[in-house]
This record gives sequence, C-alpha cells and structure tokens, in this order.
Amino acid sequence: MSNIVISVENLVKEYGQNATLVRALRSVSLEIERGSFTCIVGPSGHGKSTLMHLLGGLDHPTSGTVFIDGQEISRLGNRELANLRANKIGFVFQFFNLLQSLTAKENIEIALMLAGVPEKEQQSRARNLLKVVGLEEKADAKPGQLSGGQQQRVAIARALANDPPVLLMDEPTGNLDSEAEAEVMNVLESLKAQGKTIIFVTHSHEIASRADNLVYVRDGQIQLPEKLKKAS
Amino acid sequence: MTPSKLVLKNLVRRKGRFVFTLMGIVIGMAAFVTFMALGGSLKSQIERESAALGANLVVTPKGSCAYEQVSILTGEQLPTNITSDEVAAIRSIDGMSAIPYLAERSAIDNRPVSVMGILPEETKDFKNWKIAEGEFFAGNEDEGAVLGSILAEQFKLKVGEEIRIRGTQIPVLGVLGETSGKDDLTVFLSLPMAQKLYKQEGLVSYVAVQVDRLDEVDLYANKIKDKVSLGVVSDKQMRNSVLSIVGTVNITLQLIAAVAILAAAFGIINTMMTATYERKREIGILQAMGATRFGVFRLFLLESGIYGFLGGCGGALLGGFAAIFAAPYISQNAATSFVKGAQIGIDPIMFTGAIVFSTAIAMIAGLYPAIKASKLSPVEAISYE
Repeated sequence: MSNIVISVENLVKEYGQNATLVRALRSVSLEIERGSFTCIVGPSGHGKSTLMHLLGGLDHPTSGTVFIDGQEISRLGNRELANLRANKIGFVFQFFNLLQSLTAKENIEIALMLAGVPEKEQQSRARNLLKVVGLEEKADAKPGQLSGGQQQRVAIARALANDPPVLLMDEPTGNLDSEAEAEVMNVLESLKAQGKTIIFVTHSHEIASRADNLVYVRDGQIQLPEKLKKAS
Repeated sequence: MTPSKLVLKNLVRRKGRFVFTLMGIVIGMAAFVTFMALGGSLKSQIERESAALGANLVVTPKGSCAYEQVSILTGEQLPTNITSDEVAAIRSIDGMSAIPYLAERSAIDNRPVSVMGILPEETKDFKNWKIAEGEFFAGNEDEGAVLGSILAEQFKLKVGEEIRIRGTQIPVLGVLGETSGKDDLTVFLSLPMAQKLYKQEGLVSYVAVQVDRLDEVDLYANKIKDKVSLGVVSDKQMRNSVLSIVGTVNITLQLIAAVAILAAAFGIINTMMTATYERKREIGILQAMGATRFGVFRLFLLESGIYGFLGGCGGALLGGFAAIFAAPYISQNAATSFVKGAQIGIDPIMFTGAIVFSTAIAMIAGLYPAIKASKLSPVEAISYE
C-alpha cells in the first residue's frame, strides 16, 4: 500500500463565468501521507473549504485530479462520489453536524445505514463508536441535550462509522470553548495514534502547532511553508 | 436505522404541522369516501327497489318526469290522477297483470312514513311477500294495516296494536318478512281504505305491470298507450333515468370532494417544501455521509407518501363512519332516509382504492419538493446556515 493517501495535482476550481468568474482554487498540488495530521490554515474566503470539499468528493473540480487511496475521484459521477463519501471519508463540520430529530446513537446508525450495514449490526457498531469517543452513556440523548463538545464527539464517532482511512474536518472546534476543544483534540490524538489520516481546517494557531504538516491556503493557492512563517 | 424509520422520525418532528397537514388529506378523503359509499349504496338500493317493484312496465300520470320515477322507487307521495276507469282499462288487457298503487305519506311519532294503498292478494303474489308475524289482509276491503319489518321494529309496533293514520285508529294485522327495500319501511293499507282515508276515492298513483312474455314488453307498452292517455315507462328506462340522476348528483359531490383533496395535496406540497428548506443543512450532512441524490429523493417522496397513506386510512375510516352513521340524518329527503345503515356496504375494494388513490396523490404532490431536495448540491446544502 502506498504511503500517500491523498494526492492532488493542478487542482482548479472556478465558479461563475466571464465577469462573475471566481477562481476559488488556482492550481493546487499536494500530497498527504497516511496516518498524518494535516492542518489547512489561511484567511477566510481564500479557498480552504473549497479545497476540503474537493478532497472529500463533495464537489467536482474545474480541472486537475484528486486521488484518494489510489482512486481518481475528480471524474466520478454523483453516485460513485456518494459511495466514496460513505466508505472512504468521514466528515465533521463546524455547525449543526447532527440530525436534530435523532439520538446520538441513531445519528451514527444513519452513516452505517448509508453504507449498507444491516440494521442489527448498526446497533452494536454505533455503541462501540460511542465508546471510542467516551459517550456511551449518552447514546439515547438528542443533540439538544448534549454540550457542543459532546455533539462534536458524536459527529466524530459518526465520521468513523465506516472506518474510513481519511477524516476531513472543517473547523470542528471553531465553535467550542477551550475545554470542549481539548475534549475533541484528545479524541483526535488517539485516532491519529490508530493510524487515521486527519485533515483539519482551522484558524487556531494552537491546533496548527500540533500538526505534522501545515498547508497554508491564500488566494486559492498553497503558499510555501517559508512564506507561512513570514506571514505569521 | 432504516430509511423508513428515518422518514417516520422526520415526519413527526413538527407534530403540529404533521397533524394539520394530515387533517387536510383525512378530511378530503373522508368526504370522498362518504360520497362514494353513499353513491354506491344508493345505486344498489335503486336497483333493489326496481327489482322489488317486480314490474316490467310502470304506468304513470301523463306528463310525469324523472321526479315521479324517483318517487316510485323511494316511496314518496305522488300525485294521484289515474282514475279507476283507466285502471280497469289497463287491467282488461290480456297477457299481463296490472297492480294499482296509491302512494301517500303519514307520520308516526312525528316521523314521516310511506303509506301504500294496495290490492292485498294481488300485490302479495306480485311481490312474493312473506308474512313474518300475524296475518295478512283478510280481503280487499280489510280495514287493518300490514307493516314493513323495519318500520314495525323502529316504532316497536306489535300485531294487535293500533296505529293512527289521518285521525283514524287502525289495527296492525301483521308484519311482512324482510324485503331489503322500501317496503320494509312502509305501512300497507287496502286500496279502498287508503283511498277513503286520503279522500282519493277512485284514484291511484301508479300502476305496476308484469307481462307474461318479456320479449313483448314494447308491444304491451303500446297496447296500454292505445287504451289510456297515460305515461308508460319500462322498468329499465325508469331505473336508468333514476340512476342517471343519482349518478349526476354523485359525480357532482365527488368532484367537490376532489377539490378538497386537491387543496390537501397543496397542503402536502407546502409542508414538504418547508421541510426541504428547514432541512437543507441536514440534506447536506446526509450527502456528506454518502446519501445519493436518489436516496434523498426517496426519503422525501416516502415522507409525503406516508401523509397520503395515513390520510387515506383515516379518511376511509372517517368516511365509512360518516356514511353509516351520519348519512341517514343528513337529509330528510326520501332518497337517503330509506337507506338504513346496514345496507351501506363497507366495500374493501373501495377502501383499498381510496388508500391507494390518496397515497398516489400525496406522492405526486411530493414529487416537486423531493426533486428540489435531491437537486441540492452537497456543497450548497452544507454551506446553508
């Protein structure tokens, strides 16, 4: 198995046409090693989230290629992309990650259901996943009954549901106080120790300082680490 | 977790909205089912009455129209302008038997009942009546009364008791066996007695005719027309014209119910559109977790389909109850007053049909919101706040 889990070449994403053309990403190339903890940093509106969406197969690039686990995904159809998201990628977002009408356990079961896991197996796997994030006693709580940190831990458990090699996180701690942030980061540390590849969009210097790699996105391009040092 | 469980949980998360939307379709379907059930039972009742009349031809007053034909089948009061001379002339034709009737109305305990003056023995043979209790009329001049079975039961009348018609106390001679028609709700008197009570001496309302040879019905109709200047209508014509009136009324009522269902369908569209907007973010999350566009489409379509299914079940039940219990009280019109509860068939095919219909309508209504939801791009849905 190759040691590179994500590889991106000349990735371009443009929105709109002619006068309204927005170049969200201009020729981005990068490689991410299996089991690494990568932070994507940079100012708001400079293409961090767009890069995340393309890495996760949520969107099609205008040009360029994205390989995940050896599979070229930028030319996949909607159905294949959905299948990829169900099995190879776990997403965690900043806000409202959980379906409000479902309990913590049911939120995890949904991810298993979408990957085609039979209902009985969903139950036991969801319980185990809650154990991983230390929330087994909150299995039947609705999101409204959980703290922000607990909700994000449930979201992480859900992202792990189908044992994807890659976790993509879009500012998952952006909305949390430092105690809750520490809860989430502890869970991520242990996941990293288990060999998960974690890609983390953040504004936090503290989190960025713990990363194996830093990807600094500015004006839709990746800036070199030296520039990053100058900028900060 | 299964897609259908997820749909059910989504459905009831806004309980008020769920109930109100559901009520719309329940009420629409209930109206539809009520009218269908009533229409169906009226139709079969008309066919029963027409058969119970036992006539191939009916002689009615000159210039009578469909209203009189309805009245003959429902036991309404009719104008009496057929004279005994005309009756005698009709009865003189060979190869057929003709029975005159005097159709009047009276009231027992302030409730309207049909009163029929008949020629006892001939009518009994003509209609194949059985006697359930007591005796039949002793002769054509008998001054007693024979009651239909349901009427006797309704007013708790026993043989030997008396009923009061037009100020005269009349002893109950007997009770007929059940006929499942309007005869069950009728007071029968001998023709001379009825004519005397209603001061219609020498007059009858209509004459029912049975011909010996069915293939010559038209011939006999002409023979009657040659002898007397009266209207002659075959039982088939009469049944068809009555059915067409009832059919028109039914279709009108069903159209009104259809408008209610249409309005309810828009209620579903509205609810589902709101749900699509409310759950935009959730749709994005589902897509990020690997839900396909078709998967999202199916979730929303299923949700509206359940509105239709539950609405159909509720509507069929409510409509069935309304038809059975409420309908006889809705109108004092004879057409509904003679329909007794037990005769309104709970037709399983109609009920299943109503549920399927309602589900189909709701799913059609849900198509647009479901397509809208499935067309959301994951990025657009996730970025929605």
